[in-house]
Amino acid sequence: MKNKRVAITGIGVFSGAGKNVHELTDALLNSRSGIAPIDMIDTSLFTTSLGSQVKNYNQLEYFSKRDSIKLSRADQFGLIAAEEAITNSGIQGHYSPWEMGVSMGAGAAGMFQSESWLKEQLSGIKASLTLLRGLLPDRTTTEIAKKFKLCGYQNSITTACSSSATAIGWGADLIASGAQKAVLAGGSDSLSILTFAGFNSLRVVDQNPCSPFSIGRQGISLGEGSACLVLENEEEAMRRGATIYGFILGYSLAGEAFHMTAPEPSGTTAARVMTNAVKSAGIDLNQIGWVNAHGTGTPLNDIVESNAMKLVFGIKAAKVPLVSTKAMTGHCLGAAGAIEALATVISLKNNFIPQTLNFKGRDPDCDLDYCHDGRRPTNSTIAISNSFAFGGNITSLVLSK
Amino acid sequence: MNKLFDKIVVTGYSAITAAGIGTAPILLAHNEGCSALSSIPDNNSQQWGKAGFFKASDFMPPLKARKMDRSSQLATATAGLALKNAGIDIKTMDAERIGIAMGCGFCGVGNSSEFLTGYFNSGVEGLAPMLFPNTVSNAAASNASIEHGLKGPNITLVQRFCSAESAFLMACRFIENDQADIMLVGGIDELIPLIIEGLRSLGQHKTHAACFGEGCGIIILEKTESAHKRGAHIKASVDNICTIGMLPPDLESEGCKLLLGDCATIKHIGLSGTTTSTPALMNRLPESNCIDISTVVGRSLAMGATSMACLIDSIQCSENALHLAASPEGPYFSIRFKGGLSE
Repeated sequence: MKNKRVAITGIGVFSGAGKNVHELTDALLNSRSGIAPIDMIDTSLFTTSLGSQVKNYNQLEYFSKRDSIKLSRADQFGLIAAEEAITNSGIQGHYSPWEMGVSMGAGAAGMFQSESWLKEQLSGIKASLTLLRGLLPDRTTTEIAKKFKLCGYQNSITTACSSSATAIGWGADLIASGAQKAVLAGGSDSLSILTFAGFNSLRVVDQNPCSPFSIGRQGISLGEGSACLVLENEEEAMRRGATIYGFILGYSLAGEAFHMTAPEPSGTTAARVMTNAVKSAGIDLNQIGWVNAHGTGTPLNDIVESNAMKLVFGIKAAKVPLVSTKAMTGHCLGAAGAIEALATVISLKNNFIPQTLNFKGRDPDCDLDYCHDGRRPTNSTIAISNSFAFGGNITSLVLSK
Repeated sequence: MNKLFDKIVVTGYSAITAAGIGTAPILLAHNEGCSALSSIPDNNSQQWGKAGFFKASDFMPPLKARKMDRSSQLATATAGLALKNAGIDIKTMDAERIGIAMGCGFCGVGNSSEFLTGYFNSGVEGLAPMLFPNTVSNAAASNASIEHGLKGPNITLVQRFCSAESAFLMACRFIENDQADIMLVGGIDELIPLIIEGLRSLGQHKTHAACFGEGCGIIILEKTESAHKRGAHIKASVDNICTIGMLPPDLESEGCKLLLGDCATIKHIGLSGTTTSTPALMNRLPESNCIDISTVVGRSLAMGATSMACLIDSIQCSENALHLAASPEGPYFSIRFKGGLSE
């Protein structure tokens, strides 16, 4: 990304921690979590009912009955967040439709509806056909492109929990390389029986709200939602008088080639990706003020990410706060990277480092600064946002105010 | 968007499809007007391109194969064949400079349905934790990277019938901006009867999902300098990738023009996805040698990589070739190759 600086000119979010940018900002400022008992799926057979569900969601408040039937929950979340981002970017009409693209990350996508189809099929009931419409994770991208007439590039990245961080990095690269003038980038995902049962079966779900980097943490709290960013070349954004919320300075990604679910213990690949992201941003490591961790709250992941920090920052690692916003938003899987990138942008813009909630005590293997004590003011203007995924897919974004 | 490339070459490829192993059986069947499609079990009225002959244990130890879903098995096996075709021994190279970009279709759906069926039938007692990790779309690329030790950029994409082309573009960019010297780029599709049932429920079995196929195609893209350094046989060079997301009726002509550009020198055209049922594109193509592998192995969401491998296999040195891919609601891709090494 040496050519053009990539400005963030529109932001939107719809999640369990906040149904718009104002609400998410408020949650971050006041360390308020969206994790609570969920009611969209039957959790009675599991040891926990907790998650960060979008509460009191009435699709008819946002879509006509006809459209709501055609769109999966994840598609709907994506369209709502995209609308907020596109609206506050004021971008419509400034570029040719061919110069504007969409790059979204996805995870379980329409599984929440599709699993109802399967359940009805297994019961011998004739299932409603529309339940299958959003099964594939590319649907959200297509719907966003159609609604906002973004006729340029379109793509859906599906690397599980790093999907939407990569979608944003790749979207920024399309701008930096001059391939597109504007890109709507982000991610969307919804809770589902598949993911709730799946992570529970692997015994990596905490019975209490997740407590990243704390002693006694047991795992993740799942979440759902969407976040979108409008990305543009800085010069053109300034020329049209756009509000600039921040910048994507660089990104990097790699595969660990180690194990489908377990991270490589030393954190070597994660460290390489973070280092390469900083290099691609063309900045010095000393300029990184803090890191928004992948920070799931699983015993192993948090140690590996702490190890990676030490490999990247050396003896200065303890002076670079490593915070996890997942204790507020839940782990939103395919949307996690986008929601966390947005949380980072909001925090940078408002000069604070968010708190890592639910501290239970210090873990000797997690011996860095995790901002457990509370939100902290900062003069830092640059942060990293990390995303790790099943399969060893790792992505780091470098963001600035 | 339209991106020109001048330092990326193809040094290897392979495929596993209903027609067999490699591109040769597909091209042979295509040239002879034959098909590898077969009847779907318990449904004689419909055909599919099932790679029924494929046994993962022919390519890896059975215990290892058991840990993978079918997509991962196909991708891992095909990646091995493609690396061999390119003469690449990863053990002698910097693995961090070799990555993988996969487009996929219904990957993970088989495992998801099996996992959920256990839950719906028997509650938490029916959950099989081993199935869950391979419910993600990126399982195929990740398992292939683990087995072959690919530590460079690793990405999986899904975008309608242009999933492999989307992966191809990203892989080229990783090479162009020096994130990798070599990228394995492919497309992977898996078919199970449940998917056919779902497509039938949606009525798509009468349209673009009439004869669905499965399999994997993988192309080895390489920085020209890297290919020269190791004395690789260069099969083609990548000249240009153009893509648009949609063809709205009011912008159809403009969109087709952007996508196709000047086709006067094109000798061979590979047709992928739903291009053949997109008149706006078909009517604008020049008289050329057209290859549509869907008649042989079935159509699938990520068939583009196999289609491109067959196209590259068909072109002579210095001949210009165009790979064209379409999806019912977009996106659309045109990718231009030149046989051998570009001047």
